[in-house]
Amino acid sequence: MNMLTRNNRLQIAKRGFKDLVGAMLRKPWIWAYLAAGITYLATLLVVSIGGGAWALLYAALTFASFAVIVGVGQMFVITLGPGNVDLSIPATMTLAGTLALKFMETDGALVLPGLLIALGVGLACGLFNFSLILLLRIPPIIATLSSSFLFQSLAIWSNRGLRIKPPQILADFTTGGTFGIPNAALVALLVSILAWFVLEKAIVGRWISAAGQNSRAARLGGVPVNAVRFGVYLSCAVLAGFTGFMLANFSGGANLNMGAEYMLMSIAVVVIGGSSIAGGNSNVPGIWAAALFMFLIVSMLNSYGFGAGVRLILTGMIIVSVVALASKRGHKI
Amino acid sequence: MWMCDPAILMRRVLFTVLLLWPKIAFLKNKTILSPFKGDKIETKQDVALSRQGGKMKLKTMLLGMIAGTAFVASGHAMADTSDKRIALSNNYAGNSWRQAMLESWEKVTSEAVSNGTVAAADAFTTSENQATEQAAQIQNMILQGYDAIVVNAASPTAINGAVKEACDAGIIVVSFDGIVTEPCAWRIAVDFRQMGRDQVKYLENRHPDGGNLLEIRGLAGVFVDDEISAGIHEEVARTNFKIVGSVHGDWAQDVAQKAVAGILPSLPDITAVVTQGGDGYGAAQAIHAANRPTPTIIMGNRQDELQWWSEQKAANGYETTSLSIAPGVSTLAFWVAQQILDGSDVAKDLTVPFLRVDQDTLEEILAQTPAGSVANQEYSLDDAKNLIKSTN
Repeated sequence: MNMLTRNNRLQIAKRGFKDLVGAMLRKPWIWAYLAAGITYLATLLVVSIGGGAWALLYAALTFASFAVIVGVGQMFVITLGPGNVDLSIPATMTLAGTLALKFMETDGALVLPGLLIALGVGLACGLFNFSLILLLRIPPIIATLSSSFLFQSLAIWSNRGLRIKPPQILADFTTGGTFGIPNAALVALLVSILAWFVLEKAIVGRWISAAGQNSRAARLGGVPVNAVRFGVYLSCAVLAGFTGFMLANFSGGANLNMGAEYMLMSIAVVVIGGSSIAGGNSNVPGIWAAALFMFLIVSMLNSYGFGAGVRLILTGMIIVSVVALASKRGHKI
Repeated sequence: MWMCDPAILMRRVLFTVLLLWPKIAFLKNKTILSPFKGDKIETKQDVALSRQGGKMKLKTMLLGMIAGTAFVASGHAMADTSDKRIALSNNYAGNSWRQAMLESWEKVTSEAVSNGTVAAADAFTTSENQATEQAAQIQNMILQGYDAIVVNAASPTAINGAVKEACDAGIIVVSFDGIVTEPCAWRIAVDFRQMGRDQVKYLENRHPDGGNLLEIRGLAGVFVDDEISAGIHEEVARTNFKIVGSVHGDWAQDVAQKAVAGILPSLPDITAVVTQGGDGYGAAQAIHAANRPTPTIIMGNRQDELQWWSEQKAANGYETTSLSIAPGVSTLAFWVAQQILDGSDVAKDLTVPFLRVDQDTLEEILAQTPAGSVANQEYSLDDAKNLIKSTN
């Protein structure tokens, strides 16, 4: 009797564990988390100082958060289906960061208007992008690439590459932490929870996925496809503007080339995170894993003292294998 | 500030308009065009070429006339450069160093044009940092009939073809900072290897017992990065220092900050940080965020680096040094080109000195440097003459 229940319980527990593992393996983002975890542990092997494990995680969380915020925006755009991608993210970041910091001129009282300017710049950039795409019917890749020339030029024109310091209060906030967690990561967490809610729980999220899977079917099914695209491109640009604002405050000033690495980074975190590059299927948790992974992989290879050539080759190979694994085990298209 | 360099802006706006032209035409004509019809490059070049074609005829006529007068007037001991036109071909404008470089060019050449030393000194920047684009730009300059082209090249070898074409057309080509290997061109090079050696030499004086070094490199795969790093490693091998970590900071504060934050947990105590410029402040921030003692960080003349240094100096007597090339080296290249046009005998390979900031000169140079810019120095005609004399 006693044995029987225990066996039963054991079996149930076993099955539950198996189911759990099975369910986890079916999640497209699990591979990115595994990769990030392994990279983290591998880096720890050479960490020599006490408290280094937490220091590394802290740094990873801090720097991943910028990639997460732009990645979320890019994810929504990529979800819209083949050919949809926003290449103007770096230029939007630069322009928003530059104009906001120029306006604040290190005055702590102007933080809120400064933030609004950054968001407003993002909004304007998004509007411009979308008007090119919808009104002039230019393919998004070309439209966003050409508008990024304009945004970048405006940034150069407005400030000639001069680095203006952020207000002290903002610099302290972005570089500081609350309860031992970096503030930047908390902000990114807030953004991703919001994005997760929109994508998974709100009707808009269904619309975005539907438009990405088959825009004609979605239109016939009563989805306001153009309104959805409008909202997605706008929010992507606003998130980019916001990231530019955060990053400029974090790194002690807006740079003309500060967004440069986020062009590929924003796309990479979406793909490594297990979202379908063909659109129509996305997830938010994967972006976090991918962003952490992208930071940790560089840290790991740096810590092991590999030269630049080896480092780049290994980075490329590891990313390819993670994407290959994720797309094989993940969802079927 | 708002009036600065409309040339780049106009170029880009024009480029964008050209890119979008099929679509704008589509709106006007209400005919259906495929989005890819009217390929952007074709359109751009067609327009540029047809425009130049028109200009060329007039230009050759004018040049012929000018050449005639110059020939008549060449009884003077020196050839006159007042009718010569010099162009700057620049491959990148997206950082504060390049912006200061263009600003210095503008400042010095506009004066030279207004007092009649040369007829024109126009600056052109390619919209993307690509050798193919710069080669096309140089070919345009040949067609436009410039007498000399001053070039900061995207690659030491990839635009050699275009440079050779320019030489064959009788145009003087002077490369600086980003130099070209084509033998017919002049090179105003920076001894980047020496820049690396000097950093370690300074550190050797500061820390005779040696110690651990963190190296911040520039952009992987770029000649300058390899040279500076080679200089550092050469010199380190001779001393008690040991390089315990090396990261690529891409000459940008935010990238350096990120890279340093990533490697710090795996590093023992570091005595000093060797850098390549544009990365020192980022390193300082990352080290500060990790609650580590501040090592001696070599700076690269950026205003935020100097500002940070002077704050540390005031607070705790922090000592370091800072060296980089002054962006005003573009003006040195301009004067060298002018001198060559003037008939001077100039060696093909020249070397520019570094601009160095020391503990004593920090306040003075910081005060002269605009907030957010780079410590700068413009060169005069006499500087160019001295440089030419010293190598002859």
